[in-house]
Amino acid sequence: MLMEVKNQIYAIYLSIKYAFQRELLNKFTFLSNIIFMIINNACFIIQWVILYSIKDEVGGYSFKQVLLLWGVASFTFGISRFFFKEAFNLTDTINNGKLDNYLVQPKSVLISSITSSIEVSAIGDMLYGIVMIIVFGFTLKNVLLFLLCGICGALIIVSISIIFSSLSFWFGKTEIISETVNSLMINFSVYPEGIFTGIIRVMFYTILPLGITTYLPVRIISDFKFIYLLYLIIGTIIFVLLAFFVFYRGLRKYSSTNLMNARV
Amino acid sequence: MAVITVEKLSKNFKVKIKEKGFKGSLKSLIKPKYNIVKAVKNISFSIEKGEMIAFIGPNGAGKSTSIKMMTGILFPDKGKIDILGLDPTKERKKLAYSIGCVFGQKEQLWTHLTPYDNFKFFGAIYDIPESIVEKKIEELRELFELDEFINNPVRNLSLGQRIRCEIVASLIHEPKILFLDEPTIGLDPVVKEKIRTLIKRMNKEYKTTVVLTSHDVSDIEKLCKRVIIVNKGQIVLDDTMENLKYHYLNKKIIDAKMKEKINLEDVDGITILKDKDYNLKLEVDLKKKSISDAINLLNTDKIVDINISNVPLEEIISEIYKDGDK
Amino acid sequence: MKKYLYIFKSEIMSNLQYAFDIFVGFIGYAVHIFIFLNLWEYIYSDPNELINGYSMSQMIWYVIVTEILWSALNGRKFNRRISEDVRTGNISYNINKPYNYVEYMLSSHLGITSFRFLLVTILGMVLGYIFLGSFPEISLLGIICVLISCLLATLISIFLIIGLGLFAFYIEDATPFYWLYSKMILLLGTIFPVEFFPTIIQPIIKYSPIFAVSIAPAKLFVDFSITTFLETLVIQLLYLLVCATIVHLFYKKGVKKLNVNGG
Repeated sequence: MLMEVKNQIYAIYLSIKYAFQRELLNKFTFLSNIIFMIINNACFIIQWVILYSIKDEVGGYSFKQVLLLWGVASFTFGISRFFFKEAFNLTDTINNGKLDNYLVQPKSVLISSITSSIEVSAIGDMLYGIVMIIVFGFTLKNVLLFLLCGICGALIIVSISIIFSSLSFWFGKTEIISETVNSLMINFSVYPEGIFTGIIRVMFYTILPLGITTYLPVRIISDFKFIYLLYLIIGTIIFVLLAFFVFYRGLRKYSSTNLMNARV
Repeated sequence: MAVITVEKLSKNFKVKIKEKGFKGSLKSLIKPKYNIVKAVKNISFSIEKGEMIAFIGPNGAGKSTSIKMMTGILFPDKGKIDILGLDPTKERKKLAYSIGCVFGQKEQLWTHLTPYDNFKFFGAIYDIPESIVEKKIEELRELFELDEFINNPVRNLSLGQRIRCEIVASLIHEPKILFLDEPTIGLDPVVKEKIRTLIKRMNKEYKTTVVLTSHDVSDIEKLCKRVIIVNKGQIVLDDTMENLKYHYLNKKIIDAKMKEKINLEDVDGITILKDKDYNLKLEVDLKKKSISDAINLLNTDKIVDINISNVPLEEIISEIYKDGDK
Repeated sequence: MKKYLYIFKSEIMSNLQYAFDIFVGFIGYAVHIFIFLNLWEYIYSDPNELINGYSMSQMIWYVIVTEILWSALNGRKFNRRISEDVRTGNISYNINKPYNYVEYMLSSHLGITSFRFLLVTILGMVLGYIFLGSFPEISLLGIICVLISCLLATLISIFLIIGLGLFAFYIEDATPFYWLYSKMILLLGTIFPVEFFPTIIQPIIKYSPIFAVSIAPAKLFVDFSITTFLETLVIQLLYLLVCATIVHLFYKKGVKKLNVNGG
């Protein structure tokens, strides 16, 4: 069992390493992707500068907390897209029979397929996140919590994408659903929790768990309570297990390249 | 000893039917209609250790679906599969250590890496210690004559070279059974021949059981001792190559274009299928007449162009059906 | 003219088939509006309060209109289509055809955009009415004027995007140009009206293309007057003329370069 885990981790390491090398082939594109992503994230500061010139707090957050929010969001999304890029193309992988090669290998199909390429611009997201935590307060405790939150959040984001992408095992062309869910996760997560009310707040802790991936970490870092950390870890475990469960359930319905849309 | 036993295997696919036009798309959204396609219908067979066996059949006959179920890619709807004592639906990972797969239309190699690095990657996937992988690569590199390009990135290799590397990659972990799905698809005849020779050599060297699919009859003719012909999801014929050759592959088709019109009549063993203007089409029964007999019949001086080919697979299959009806 | 009309029509027809996909895609639009609604509701402690001269409902209608223009345009995909055409040499097939490539792309994309515009406008108006309970005070004439302004804005945008895509004649990857353009539009022309920016940069924004392609129609919708319309019209027509001319010239120059290189 332990040996199997070790071997699996080594396979992930090699896969990511080779994917990274592939991206490095074009150094100019590599660098510009990263830089553009950093500028992209930085641009949005303008929006918040203007909003905070109107009001001192937005949704219960101070300006500094908004920066932390942006830091957490970019860092978590960065990790998820860098290491598990293919989790966000999983619908396509399933529909076009691209799981075949992983299914004949003695490793986890799910893990092998989602780690088979990396997103370079996500490095920009991660770097931006790190800059934000430094701006917010550069202490060992903050940095450690930030790392932990980033990893847990990323695992949840990836799990959500896997769960919704797995729908295509049953229903075929469902890109639109998984893409919508993934973009909802991003769109909401860069606004303070406090501006939303009612049912949407409930969604943030259930089917669109950005409450756990973003708002909870902001609370953990700016107002630490152990119970928050516990929620985060339990949430991560639940979503990861759910993702594996749904994916492997769907895999029984996998039809390789035999799924065709016949026109009559 | 049987290494593969398949009993009463079936697999259906649900295919969405889309009607034409905007109205049709809308309809299929609200109330999708499905067609059940029976890809594999109740097939049974078994394969012995060290055998080289071919699944042939036209496109969509169910040969790939069968292979995919045997390798654990697809879940069967009904039936039982036993591969080396393992059930692919339950022990996929365990099974993966003892089988190798090459899908002619799906590359598994990293194209920016050299074959050598790829092989090492696959070594790690199968948890093989580095020193053993290196030895194995050395051995396979000789067997498959990879010296020329083993250190060039895969993206710079020709299709034939890539397929050779794909096969080697699937042999790194010394599988007991090798599945080859359309390994020669898209290759030119010379390269096809090369691949066949290499596969044959490999089978001899390692006694690996080889199961391959193809829609090219000559692949099978040259490689396999046993053939399973599949059509419309069912096994039409499961026989030795010798029998098949004797009964069905003993005919050749000659297409000739002549300078001037010549008058021919059917002789015993040579049937005229078409005689239109300067174009002739003959079927030669090799049991009775040889190819040279047929060519002599045409005046060789007057041949503008000539093409000799096998009877198409579809025709062989329909002939087998006809025989079955009798 | 007739052939461009045909291209325009066939794009609309082929898009009808994807109506459902597009419609689901507009969930993204609805979400943006929803977020801004929540944001402004939080910031306006009193709905009758004016911030920089805008009431809360004006603020939200402003965002609804700018987002309609942006989301109907689907510029990223269009830009990629143009630069792919240039990069792959596809454009050279079009050179010999009996139509001008720029005009072809314009009519083709206008077809796509019109269809999306219709859908997203219906969606936007419904959302706005549900959230705010009323439409801005605007006459029928006003609505027609706003629609004219929207059309002009879209035409200018399409020309600009074609122009940015044509940079692929000169550099391998032209997407950063579009990227920069989209960020400018988003930050300076979509989220806030001009009055929210520091007074020093307000005139810069006002005379930039951002005003013509995004701000002008939205502002007209939330605060209509015939004089503003005429002013806007002049600015937009000028921009249209300038952009169309530059893009055509740019295309001709690019094609020449292509011919020199042997396509």
